[in-house]
Parts: sequence; structure tokens; C-alpha cells
Amino acid sequence: MGKGWSVFFGVILLATFLLWFVAPFYGWWLPNAVSTFGPDVDWLFYLILGFTGFFFVLTQVVLIYAMWRFSYRPGEKSTYSHGNHRLEMIWTAIPAVILLGIAIVQISVWQDIKYQSKMPPPDVTVSVMARQWEWRMRYPLETSRFKWDQKATPEEVRQKQLAARAWAENPEIDDIPIANEIHTWVGASTKIYLRTQDVLHSFTMPNMRIKQDTLPGKTIPIWFKATRANTFFDTNTRKLRIPPNRADAWEIACQELCGGRHYAMRGKVYVHESRESYEGWLKHAVEQSNSREPEKVAAAD
Amino acid sequence: MSISQPIPTHDHTQIELGFLRKYIFSEDHKMIGIQFLFSGMIFLFLGGALALLVRLQIGWPYGNLPMVGNWFPASWGGKMSPEFYTMIFSMHATIMIFFVIIPWLTGAFGNFLIPLQIGARDMAFPKLNMLSYWVMWPSFILMLISFFVAGGAAGSGWTAYPTLSSAAMPDGMTGSPASPNSGTGQVLWLISLLFAGVSSMMGSVNYITTIINMRCPGMTLMRMPMTIWAMFVTAILQAMALPVLTVAIILQLLDKTIGTTFFLPPAGMAFGNWHTGPGGGQPLLWQHLFWFYSHPAVYIMILPAMGMVSDIISTFARKPLFGYRPMVYAIAGIAGLGFIVWGHHMFQSGMDPRLGTGFMIATIMIALPSAVKTFNWLGTIWQGNIQYTSAMLNALAFVSMFVIGGLSGIFMAATPVDVYIHDTYFIVAHIHYVLFMSTIFGIYAGVYYWYPKMFGRMMSETLGKIHFALTFLSANATFYPMHIIGVGGHPRRYFDITIYDTFQHLQPLNAFMTVAAIILGFVQFIFVANFFWSLFFGKKANRNPWHSNSLEWAAPSPPPHGNFEGNVPSVYRGPYEYGHPETQEDYLPQFEPNGPKDTPGGSH
Ligand code: HEM
Ligand SMILES: [Cu+2]
Ligand SMILES: [Cu+2]
Repeated sequence: MGKGWSVFFGVILLATFLLWFVAPFYGWWLPNAVSTFGPDVDWLFYLILGFTGFFFVLTQVVLIYAMWRFSYRPGEKSTYSHGNHRLEMIWTAIPAVILLGIAIVQISVWQDIKYQSKMPPPDVTVSVMARQWEWRMRYPLETSRFKWDQKATPEEVRQKQLAARAWAENPEIDDIPIANEIHTWVGASTKIYLRTQDVLHSFTMPNMRIKQDTLPGKTIPIWFKATRANTFFDTNTRKLRIPPNRADAWEIACQELCGGRHYAMRGKVYVHESRESYEGWLKHAVEQSNSREPEKVAAAD
Repeated sequence: MSISQPIPTHDHTQIELGFLRKYIFSEDHKMIGIQFLFSGMIFLFLGGALALLVRLQIGWPYGNLPMVGNWFPASWGGKMSPEFYTMIFSMHATIMIFFVIIPWLTGAFGNFLIPLQIGARDMAFPKLNMLSYWVMWPSFILMLISFFVAGGAAGSGWTAYPTLSSAAMPDGMTGSPASPNSGTGQVLWLISLLFAGVSSMMGSVNYITTIINMRCPGMTLMRMPMTIWAMFVTAILQAMALPVLTVAIILQLLDKTIGTTFFLPPAGMAFGNWHTGPGGGQPLLWQHLFWFYSHPAVYIMILPAMGMVSDIISTFARKPLFGYRPMVYAIAGIAGLGFIVWGHHMFQSGMDPRLGTGFMIATIMIALPSAVKTFNWLGTIWQGNIQYTSAMLNALAFVSMFVIGGLSGIFMAATPVDVYIHDTYFIVAHIHYVLFMSTIFGIYAGVYYWYPKMFGRMMSETLGKIHFALTFLSANATFYPMHIIGVGGHPRRYFDITIYDTFQHLQPLNAFMTVAAIILGFVQFIFVANFFWSLFFGKKANRNPWHSNSLEWAAPSPPPHGNFEGNVPSVYRGPYEYGHPETQEDYLPQFEPNGPKDTPGGSH
């Protein structure tokens, strides 16, 4: 078949390439990004997509062209060559520079997302205890209890952080227990202390572009700040106005294997339109939890 | 040992070993290689069947399974349970990695090719070599038995992260509070892999010794075929990394059996109302130990294929390998860097994020030697005279697909992007582009290429090409869309995504990939048919059917016991002298005393 193989490779590779352009039109793409990490992470994704796309096309075109142009010619000989020093230098140095560049631009975003020292003062603090197979949240009664103000000294910041961690590890009687729901409001920097009582889990909010495994024996803080709202607490009906369409239904998924029902550790993310809406909801939740027996509240951790 | 001495010609024709010594407890490296090849093939089909079951569930979640449904307990109603699903994807990966890919690359090809390509009569330690195969059998058997023990086979993924895998019940109780599959099944899994590790270790010391000590006259290091370089570096990787895995496995085994707490955190764990009591360990320790082995191990799973593909491409492009030395350095670079990047599997694990930054930089840089290798393969076919044999097609597919697998690695190495795509199908796509689309195509290339040497007959080229075309097509249809659903956030190891608003719209792609996977699975029977048909009816092969240069083609097909008639060959030049302008033919074997002498190491 000779040159035909070049065409065969070409057609299949072209199909894989085109899939990247077709997929977004079917919605098979990054889900809406609704946190401050969104634009940063997505930009880095597109940057890498650009560079890798370029090298994909480059190498595959060379391959397919060579398969066509240099397919077997009986009686002829190939060009006798063992290599080319200059070429080796070029194709080592250029990718080296590009790769190093790609690595360096990641650093600041990674720091913003994961370094504890970079986490801003939290407007809301939530404690999450994972277990097979649910997320158990606790909200402090006083919403911004662990927030420090911008002028705080490093020591004051440290004290606040220690207090928050201590709270996350030791439930208090007036905490509000909620299962499988993260509540915050748009623009609030939200800090979540993650723990697990049994196996590893991974707390993932795809729309927020955040993910963190939970580790038995450790309390791990993460944070995010939503840039869009999807909920409003209606004080009259005392109900959450639930997002009408799928794209606004933001979820929590577990992304570290944790047993049979790993797939079913689903939670929801409610970003309220305002702090008032959040606090209205919180007040309602307090009433609800007070109407339950106290033992149950304590046992909910 | 007199192995490296010439054996007089009459000797090997007279020694007639009995059936048992010749085919079963053989000490001949070629027979041991073939044994590894056959057992690998059996497990390829078992692993493949498990994969199809996994795909059926993902494609049509919780659907009634035709036929297989009847084998399930009546209480499941012909459907798969989530625990069963977890078990089969864990066993799929375990079998494919530890029973197919590693034994095929190092066990089958390493054994068969090393002595032949360096001009030795056998391995340095033939008995140890035989043992390395037979130690695999306890491993195979324990793993198979584990499917039938209470709770079923292991179900914590091939990575077996504690505490899901390691949580144990108090004295006197069996099973695990974490998962039904983490009971006896997990214990057997651990013991089985201990045996597999011992086998690999025996192989690796043998390969290292053989390659260092038993090269024939004239076979300098820089005249070794790429396959040998790759096998050599792979063996070193194994020798250095395996002890760490062995230790990790033993620690977990102790946790599970005698109640140590290496992976149990100080405060213990609570499952429902049951508390484990205090530990004193750290679950993250397993991940460090495991990946300290398993990252180098992913290179163990591809370097030999890279070596074989280099040889095959040069042969069928009828052109010297482009940049021999850079290729050798790239292998060494991959192996060296491979030891300092294990943390890229743990970016989201709770490891200090500052460590993540360091691991990220090392990981992104490891793409460099991979890129250098790719460019050199392209340089090899450029201005070549390419013969499209089945072996060559599979080798070219390796190059093309490895580019995709390598490039997707960069996304995940970038820590912020990995925050999003970690543990999504993007990883699954990456794994399969490097392990299936690269390594398995490399293995197929190797089988088509060396089959005449192994069995003295040619495989059918027609069937070979049909098999290649259908495999290339259906494998891309199966695995490529995984990138897209990964970008869509589709988590890996999920029993059912349709309960999520965020992911459910990806479901049509899942169904599509399942159909493609089924086709892919059935297409492999063409290969098996070709393999066994050719064993009996294939055209008889002469010594050097592909007009290749390396030493194995100096031996008869198949080579007798002791490999070479008369003296072992002498080597006069590098293995890639194709298309030399001063020769009549377009090839000039390493063992040919006449003709233009050396181009040192075949490189500039
Ligand atoms: C260009 C070079 C490569 C880079 C930069 C790279 C990078 C990575 C990264 C960062 C991960 C972890 C992703 C995550 O869990 O979030 C990963 C996973 C993986 N890589 Fe690679 N990789 C490369 C080449 C390879 C090769 C050559 C192989 C095997 C032959 C391989 C096999 C794997 C496997 C099996 C996993 C998944 C392990 C698991 O979680 O089950 N990679 N790779
Ligand atoms: Cu989970
Ligand atoms: Cu790795």
C-alpha cells in the first residue's frame, strides 16, 4: 500500500486534531469557571494546549510527510547519515527553553491556590469531615469569626489561623452541621478545613478549579473565592432559589478512590448573591438544627 | 562458567534435552523469553476482558449486562455492583502492568534478545533466569485465586492507597472495615506482587551482568543496539527502585496481618461506630514509597519498547539511526530524572505544596529527553527508503502515539492545571497513550519483527497489516476522546457519572468509546490467529529475512541451544549501517568482516 499508509495515519491524526475544535460546540469542554482561580488555571491550560498543539502538528506533519515522500523505492538507497550535531543542539535547546518557561509561569498560580501563606483572610470558614460516603460540613455561628484585617501583624494572623484550625478539629456546640453542601457568597474568600475520618477522599469542585485530597490524621486548608452566584435565599418562602439550568448547578465530587460508592459522594455548591442571603440561609439552618435533638447535632461531626 | 567460550559445533546438535527440560524447566534464554511471551498473551486477554466489563458499565451505567449478567449473584439482578466495578478496574490495571507489560518487555524481549544481540551463548545465570520465570507462577496463581476469596479480589486501584487498602479488622476478624475487597483479596494482591518483584529482580541482575560481562569480541558499549541500551538502563532502574516497592508492600502486609500501624494515623480511624484505635503512622508514606518505585516503573514500561522501535525503524527505513549518542543520552536522562519526579503523582495529595513546585519543574523537564528521542526517530525516517512491513507500521504508530502521550504529560505536570485534571479521564488518556498506544504497539512491532527469529517462520504480512490498521483505528477511537471528557472534568474510577449535572452530558462519548473498545478487543483475535497459524503454516524464515544488521540475524532461525554455530561472532561496526554508499547491498551487518570498517559507535 506504500504511500497509502501515510494517508491512513494522516486521516486518523487529523480526526483527533479536529476533535478539539468540535468538542466545545457540543459542550464537551471545561465546565464554567466561577472562581478567581478559573481564569488563571484556564489560561495556563490554553497556554499548554497551544504549545503542545504546535508540537503535535509539527511532529505529526513531519512524520506523515516523510512516510509519503520516502516510501520504498526499489533499488534506491537511503541517504547515508548518522545524525547532525547542529540539529541536535537546536532541537534540544529550543524545547528546553519552552519547557522551562512553561514550568516557571505555573509557579505563582500554584502558590495562590495551595500555599497556606498566601491564603487571604477568610470571610467564611467551613470545616469538612469526609467519610464513606458523604461530606459533613460545619459552619461557625459567627460568619467571619476567623477573619483578620489587612493591617494584622504576622503573629495575629498566625493566631487566627491556629484558632481556625483548632475550631475545625474540635466541634463546638453552636456549630451548624450540614451534609454535602458548601454555602458562601459571591466575592467572599472561603476557607475550608478538610479532614477525613476513614479513608482518603478528594474534595473537588470542578467549577471552582479546586481539588484537595483529604488525609486521615491531617487537617488541610484550602480556599476559593466565587466570582458568580447561583443561589438566593428567599426569606419569605424560606427556601433556596435553586439554579435553573445545568451549567449553574455546581457540584462537589470525590476524586480519590474511597470504596464502592466513591462515585456517589456528590455534594452541591451554593454561592449566594450576597452576604445577606447567606446569613439568611444560615439563620434558617440554625433554627432547623436547634429543632433537632442536641445529641444528634454533636454526633454529626 | 564456560558459556562465553565457543561451543564446538557438534556439541549442541547432539545434546537432546527431554521435553520437560526443553520446554518447561528450560534454562535457555530463548525458551524462557517465549514462555514469558505466552503467559503475557494469556493475561492480555484476561486483562482485556476485565477492561471491556469496565467499559460496559461506564458506557451504559447500571445497565443489564448481556450474558455476563448471568454469572453475577442473583441479588444483583444481572447488573454490576459498584464494589465489583471497583474490583475489576483495579485488577485490569494490575494485570496489565505487572503481568503483561513488564513481563513482556523485560521477560520476553529482554530474555530473548539480550544474549542474541550482544553475541553471547546465554544469560550469565541461566538457572536464575529459569527461576525468574517460575517465580511468576505463584504470583499469577495467587492473583487468580484472589478473585474467589471472600469479598473478592483487591479493589483499591493498582495504586492500593492506604487506608482504603490497608485498614484491617481487629484480631480474629477477617475482612476490612473500609471495603469488602480490602480483605483477603488485598492480602493476596500484596503477596502476589512480592513474587512478581522477586522475579523482576532476578531478571534485572541477570541482564545487568550479562550485558556488562558477556559481550562478544568487538561489541563495545557504543556499538550496542538501542534495544540493549534500553534493556540495560531498564534493568538498572528495576534494581534500584524495586527494593522500595518491596519494602512498601511488606509494610502494608504487616499492617494488614499482624496489626502494625505504618500507614495508620496517630488518631486512628472511624468506620461507622467502629474505631480502629490509635496508630502511629502516616498514610502518605505509602504514596511516597509506591511512586518512588512506580514512576521509574512507568519508564520500565516504555524504555525497552523505545529501544526495539529504534532498531526496527532504522531497519525498515534502510537508514542509520539518527543521533545514536543523543539517543543513548536521552535514555540515561529519562532514567536519571525519573528518580526525582515521583511527587507529580502527589500534587493534590496533601504533600507540602512547596515540594510540588520542585517536582513540577523536574517533571516538565523530563519531557525534554522524550522530545529528543522523537526528533531523532523522525530524523531516522527522513530521507530513508521506508518499507511498510507490519513491524514498521507498528513502530511508526509508536512514534506518533508517544508524541500524544508525552504532550499530555505536560498538562498534568503543570501543578495548577493538574489541580483541575488530576484524577480525571485526562490521566486515563495519558496512561493509555503511553502504555497501550506506545508500549503495546512497540511490543507488536517487536513480535512481527523477531517472530522469524523466535520460531523460524514468517507471520502473515497481510493479516499483520489488517490487524495493525484496525487496531490503530479502534484504539484511537477508544482512547482519544478520553482527553476530551477529561477536559470536561469526568472523574476517573467512577461507576456512574450520570448522577452529576456537571458530567452527564459527556455520556454519549462514553458509549462511543465503549463500542470502539469492544471492536478493539475483538480485533486482537486477528493477531492471535496470525500468531498461531504462522507457528505451523508460516513461510519458513531464513537467517536474516529483513536484511538487518544486528547479531541475532547471524544465528540460524530459530537459533539452536548456544545460539551461534561455531564461534560466537565478532563485531566490526555499529548496528545501523544501512544504505552505506560503498557497499553493494543496502545493509552491512555488524558481524560482516569485509566491507567498510567502523564509523565509531555509528555516530558523529
Ligand atoms: C513526557 C513525559 C511525561 C510526563 C511529563 C508525565 C507526567 C505525568 C504526570 C504529571 C502524572 C500524574 C498525573 C496525575 O495523577 O495528576 C502522570 C501519570 C502517569 N503517567 Fe506520565 N508522564 C510522562 C510520560 C509517561 C510515560 C512514558 C509513561 C509510561 C510509559 C507514563 C505513565 C504514567 C502513568 C501510568 C500515570 C498514571 C498513574 C496513576 O495515577 O494511575 N507517563 N504522568
Ligand atoms: Cu471517593
Ligand atoms: Cu510518574
